[in-house]
Amino acid sequence: MFTHRLNPAILLIIMLGIGLQITFARSFLTNVAIVIIGLSYLLYCKISIKLISIMILSAFPVALGSWWSFIAFGTSDVWHVGWIYASRVYAYLFLGSILTLTVPIKDILLSLEKHLKLSSTFVYGILAAFNLVSRIKTQYKIIRYSATMRGTEYHLWNPGLYLRIIIVALNWSGDLAEAMTSQGFTEGGARSSIYHDNLPFWQWLLSFVLILIYFFFSFIVRPW
Amino acid sequence: MKNSLVIQNLTFAYAEDEPNIFQNFDFELPIQNFNLLVGPSGSGKSTIFKLIAGLYPQYRGIKRDGKILLNGQEISEVVPFERAQHVSMLFQNPTRQFAMKTTFEQIVFVLENIQYPENKIVPKVNEILETMHLNAFKDRNLQTLSGGEQQRVALAMTLALDSPIILLDEPFANIDSKSRIELLHELKILQKDHGKTIFISDHDISNYDGLVNHVYQMNVEKKKIVELSLSFLKDTLLEQHFAQNTLSSSQIFSWNHLGFKSGDRTLLNDSSLFLPQGQIGLLSGDNGIGKSTFFAALSHQKKYTGSILFKDNPSEKVRLGKWAKIVANIFQNSSDQFIRLHAHEELELSARHSLRSDYWNDNRIKKAISHLNLTDVLNHVSYQLSGGQQKKLQALAVLIMSQPIMLFDEPFAGLDIDSVKSLMDIITETTVDLELTSLIISHQRKGIDNRVNYELIMADQKIRRQKEF
Repeated sequence: MFTHRLNPAILLIIMLGIGLQITFARSFLTNVAIVIIGLSYLLYCKISIKLISIMILSAFPVALGSWWSFIAFGTSDVWHVGWIYASRVYAYLFLGSILTLTVPIKDILLSLEKHLKLSSTFVYGILAAFNLVSRIKTQYKIIRYSATMRGTEYHLWNPGLYLRIIIVALNWSGDLAEAMTSQGFTEGGARSSIYHDNLPFWQWLLSFVLILIYFFFSFIVRPW
Repeated sequence: MKNSLVIQNLTFAYAEDEPNIFQNFDFELPIQNFNLLVGPSGSGKSTIFKLIAGLYPQYRGIKRDGKILLNGQEISEVVPFERAQHVSMLFQNPTRQFAMKTTFEQIVFVLENIQYPENKIVPKVNEILETMHLNAFKDRNLQTLSGGEQQRVALAMTLALDSPIILLDEPFANIDSKSRIELLHELKILQKDHGKTIFISDHDISNYDGLVNHVYQMNVEKKKIVELSLSFLKDTLLEQHFAQNTLSSSQIFSWNHLGFKSGDRTLLNDSSLFLPQGQIGLLSGDNGIGKSTFFAALSHQKKYTGSILFKDNPSEKVRLGKWAKIVANIFQNSSDQFIRLHAHEELELSARHSLRSDYWNDNRIKKAISHLNLTDVLNHVSYQLSGGQQKKLQALAVLIMSQPIMLFDEPFAGLDIDSVKSLMDIITETTVDLELTSLIISHQRKGIDNRVNYELIMADQKIRRQKEF
């Protein structure tokens, strides 16, 4: 049931509140705890095992790289530090995925607008940009093909190619801004909204408690 | 409340160091009338619309003098959510007016903007979708709709805003005549039965006779718009006849058992045909039938079944880099074609790489530029040119390349009749002189019919040759 899921705004607070602390924490076990709790929440939200596996695999080179660099080049307690850094990659990953894999981008933004007072200009700007992504991909192909037709090659490493894409995107955004204004969108103006979500008090409490518990374990208890 | 929209003594320029586009210009929009604005491409039709929609000078240009008054109040001082409930606008480029993903979300967005009561938004959206017969498109991704469908959604937005004044800036540039007539009919109903004020700009004046109450024309010399007599709309029917009934028998380009789909929908099935060399064909068919996709297949930009042959050799194994020098696709959206910044750089690039540089010498290029009336804008950034100037620049840039097969996708959209004729002159001359194989998709038929040698019709997953002409 959707109502038992956490609100995107709460997920963001948990993500930031714990994510910031991970950076300073020096504990392998608390990282593992985050991974396990994050994974459990993803499974609870019925995120496909396949997607989770792809996510775990794609981060593997990064984790292995930081693990190996500490083992090979570190000083003092290399094994402990190596494992902390490798597990940290996954802790970040799962912390991010409890938000991004369980809630569509539109709901994340609208929830942040509603509960955390994110500016609507920012929200709709980002939303419009997301809706443009597929067109930018198409545009990339079109530009390369147009160049070929005119006897010029644009390669992936060619700055001219990106310049074109940026110019095209700027033009789109200019046209879109005009259109949005003519549709009554007012920067900083009041709007009504049909977006409604559930944010019971216990969720605020939960985020607060989780952040405190994490703080307690990683900075006071400090397990291995 | 009675609405009014008045321009008083307006003087406007695009930039500080540029000449005025409008000078001491006075105008009052006839309320609850159907008004048409005509004028050559690049004459400032879009600019006048954006001025009275309050978008300029906020987004571009400088107002040197004068006032634009909406119900007596300077329009640029009215906040957008209030302004939109009085004046709303349909844009020339339909794909770029949507911030949201689906039709439903987009209309919700518009209603939220004007602070429509939250519990009434969804019923209101459903009611509008019903009125505009857009139910089937409710949850469709807007970017996948055809140009005509997108403009219907845009019109639905103006209904959501319930603005008494609806501005339409070249709304039919990429729309087939059937949808165009339907949309015009709907606009007429809005004006007559719902008391809306319609102000529409169009390069093509067909179908307006009997529909409009006032016709205006952009007058570039006087830097203002002037009213014309309604009889201007009368004698516009040109006789339709094609230049030559006999097809050239020489051919280098054909396809066999060609077929392709868009998603699950079959657009073309088992088609076999050749295109005559040194002649110009017109490809017609309804909106969304797959004409542009057909061009994409011919230029190897889209997967297909069957075979496309050049000089009797199947092309499927030809590298894209080589194929792009055999088949040129002049895109519907001009700015997609530009790969440099300024207009003159586009043409220089083509001249440098032209496949027929013997033919396209400096003198010929210069003549073509002046024939297309582009001489004065060569130093401008291509994207800042007017829609029509972009079209002409784009077509010329590819014509100079002179690939043996030229596919033009709506090259005349948004062009005034003189520009259509001049561009068609150059297409014809090049096709004949260099024995190219040209095929044109065009909803605009006036000014080109007498130059086209044959017509292909795309319908029911087939392409057949129209024999009657």
